[in-house]
Amino acid sequence: MPELRVIDGRSLQPPEPLELAVAELATLAPGGELVLLLNCEPLPLYAILDRQGYRYRSERRADGTNEIHIQEIIR
Amino acid sequence: MQPTLSFEQAPPISVPYRFFLTAPLFGAVAGLILAWLGPAAIESRWSPGALAMTHLIVVDFMLQAMCGSLLQFVAVVAGANIWRPRLVAAVVHPLITAGALFLATAFLLEQQFLFLLAALVFATALGLFLTVMGMALLRTPARGMSIYVLRLALLGLSVTLALGVILASTLGLQENLQSVWSLHALINVHVAWGLGGWALMLVIGVSYLVVPMFQLTPAYPVWLTRLLPAGLFLVLCLWSLQLLPDTGAAQSWQSGVALAGMLLAGLFAVATLWLQSRRRRRQADVTFLFWRGAMLALLGLAASWLLFEALPQLGSYARAPLWLGVLALPGVFLSVIMGMLYKIMPFLNWLHLQRQGGLAMPPPNMKQMIPERAMRAQMRLHFTALVLLLAAVLLPALALPAGLAFSASCLWLEWNLLGAARLYARFRDRIRAAGRAAASAQP
Repeated sequence: MPELRVIDGRSLQPPEPLELAVAELATLAPGGELVLLLNCEPLPLYAILDRQGYRYRSERRADGTNEIHIQEIIR
Repeated sequence: MQPTLSFEQAPPISVPYRFFLTAPLFGAVAGLILAWLGPAAIESRWSPGALAMTHLIVVDFMLQAMCGSLLQFVAVVAGANIWRPRLVAAVVHPLITAGALFLATAFLLEQQFLFLLAALVFATALGLFLTVMGMALLRTPARGMSIYVLRLALLGLSVTLALGVILASTLGLQENLQSVWSLHALINVHVAWGLGGWALMLVIGVSYLVVPMFQLTPAYPVWLTRLLPAGLFLVLCLWSLQLLPDTGAAQSWQSGVALAGMLLAGLFAVATLWLQSRRRRRQADVTFLFWRGAMLALLGLAASWLLFEALPQLGSYARAPLWLGVLALPGVFLSVIMGMLYKIMPFLNWLHLQRQGGLAMPPPNMKQMIPERAMRAQMRLHFTALVLLLAAVLLPALALPAGLAFSASCLWLEWNLLGAARLYARFRDRIRAAGRAAASAQP
């Protein structure tokens, strides 16, 4: 079963969620997934993910939460 | 959903940092001038000391910090392409610094040629800055109220600059402009555009983004985000009618127009304080507290203005404008700037180091960039200095402790910011050394 980690950054002060997400990615096992819950679109994080070789997709929930699913691209 | 930040357009870190690291030093100089000249500096708003201190604060502290922030903010928030930001910063930064020093010295020593030199330097530096930033903001595909308000703020800076150059040239050439414009009206309009059309407009535009995002508050109501900049712009245009040759009709409006402006400023302060009271996280960081202090000072400024209008014998007191000036400059604008610098510099440090080190060499925690205790202590000193400055307006004998406290607060801010910059440089060097070691280890 691949590892699943969740960070609820909705009540954290930016840029704390960004910092936490990057720290989690550094220790996430290959195949694992990080889910980030935010109130905004984290463009600086997307830029980091693009550079570091991660794929991501974001889904907008009905309550306005942005749910971002992040996985490492396994080559 | 809240507005977003993009980092890909961000200029090199040296571009904003050269402005940020210079700005507080001139606040310290202004404080020392007050301490040195003592009560004479605050006899009235027209004393050479008061004029020199005011321009050191508004140009060398506020304008430096605002130009540096805008170079970063416009690129990141508007996704705008700024033409050669490193070159623009390398030209604008030293010229603004020199221009404000010329201007302050011109006021203190009453040297005519320095007024002319200041006018020339500001026209060159800010002409370049306004052209580059104006082009970037006009060409950006980004939309949103913050972008419109930033454009208005740049227009406000253009009007302030034009009137400032006319004023400095007038003082430099000792020409009598009375036949064209009343000098008093020219100063009134210059001050209003500088503080209202540029500084307050910029704070309003930035607040729409940073207050909800960084302080976890609800967004500003849409109707308010439209009313504030449009109302403020209209007030400033009406206020400028006093420059018209036949100003009889305009003068009869002036009190009403100024009152409308103060009510708008007060409304912005109340709205921000109300949003802050509804934040999702109860913990208050130093940026939040600086903003709250600034908004209370803005409310105090609007209330004082109303009081001075209601009691003309109080309003006509020679030091009454100084009371308003202390609330506006150290109270509102420097508080916002200090709070934002403490948020911006750790964030920029982290983002630039992350970009260089990747996941292999994660940057230090953002909270370690500037120690929380140091920021809070400096903030307490800043607000103590503000109270002392207000007290010195009432009791000029307090000019010495007020000036020293303000100077110490600015120097402490500088020390804290330098700490963040040193930490950045140290970690950047470590990343580079690791990169070199990895490259040399490869066969």
